[in-house]
Amino acid sequence: MNVQFKKGVLELCVLVLLDQKERYGYELVQKISEQIDISEGSVYPLLRRLTKEGYFTTYLKESTEGPPRKYYKLTDVGRNYLQELLDEWNQFSNGVNQLIKEGVHDD
Amino acid sequence: MTKDQFLSTLNTSLKRLSTEERHDILQDFEEHFAIGVGEGKTEEQISASLGSPHQIAKELVATYHVDKVETTATTSNMFRAVWAVIGLGFFNLIIVLGPFIALAAIILSGWIAGISFIVSPVIVMINTIIYPEVFNFYNLFFSIALAGLGLLITIGMYYVTRTVTRWFVRYLKFNVRFLKGGLKHV
Repeated sequence: MNVQFKKGVLELCVLVLLDQKERYGYELVQKISEQIDISEGSVYPLLRRLTKEGYFTTYLKESTEGPPRKYYKLTDVGRNYLQELLDEWNQFSNGVNQLIKEGVHDD
Repeated sequence: MTKDQFLSTLNTSLKRLSTEERHDILQDFEEHFAIGVGEGKTEEQISASLGSPHQIAKELVATYHVDKVETTATTSNMFRAVWAVIGLGFFNLIIVLGPFIALAAIILSGWIAGISFIVSPVIVMINTIIYPEVFNFYNLFFSIALAGLGLLITIGMYYVTRTVTRWFVRYLKFNVRFLKGGLKHV
């Protein structure tokens, strides 16, 4: 898939995953890379940026194995932003799907 | 690449950032490696999936510079931010550098026009001192009117520069957010 396109979608994926529950970085990276082929390291700059913009808060939680993990929690601002992105995404993908359907129908 | 190699490359590429922030970033990757190793992966596998530490650093540095120019919009901060965003990829070179040069040229010429209009009475006076025989009132009045116009242009340019700067910073942010950087080429 087009690289430019994927990066915007990555943001949406992170927001959707955090809307379900609070998660730590590694977990987010695994969840996304199960579905989409990404350079896993690029999720961390994204998480930092969105945290700085106030979409997430973070806290450390002890883990039964290994060092404490940094969890990300979606804020209200983040949730509103997710809603905006979701609306845009739905509008966009509906449009493309509609065009594909018409295209296939015409053949 | 082992964990130590990955982290030290990342660390060196991030030297522009504050120690605190750099420590925080490295901590995130430490954690990533620790959990991965706990799941039975090797350090090499983990760093291969993470991708190039240089590219990760580039993105973090670009975000840092764009944030900085947003809070303090000096010319040097703007140049650093533009440079960092261009460094993200070839596509950014085209869509960032082109508009930047065009806008910078327009703004610069506006300022030069405004300021040279303002100083035009001074030039007429200097001219009069050097060649008293060519003095006429038309030149003087014209240059005073020009100075008034120059003042308006300069005040206008102040607002134009501020608005364009704000707009361009938003454009840089958009670039960092949506355009290539850290994702695999498919």
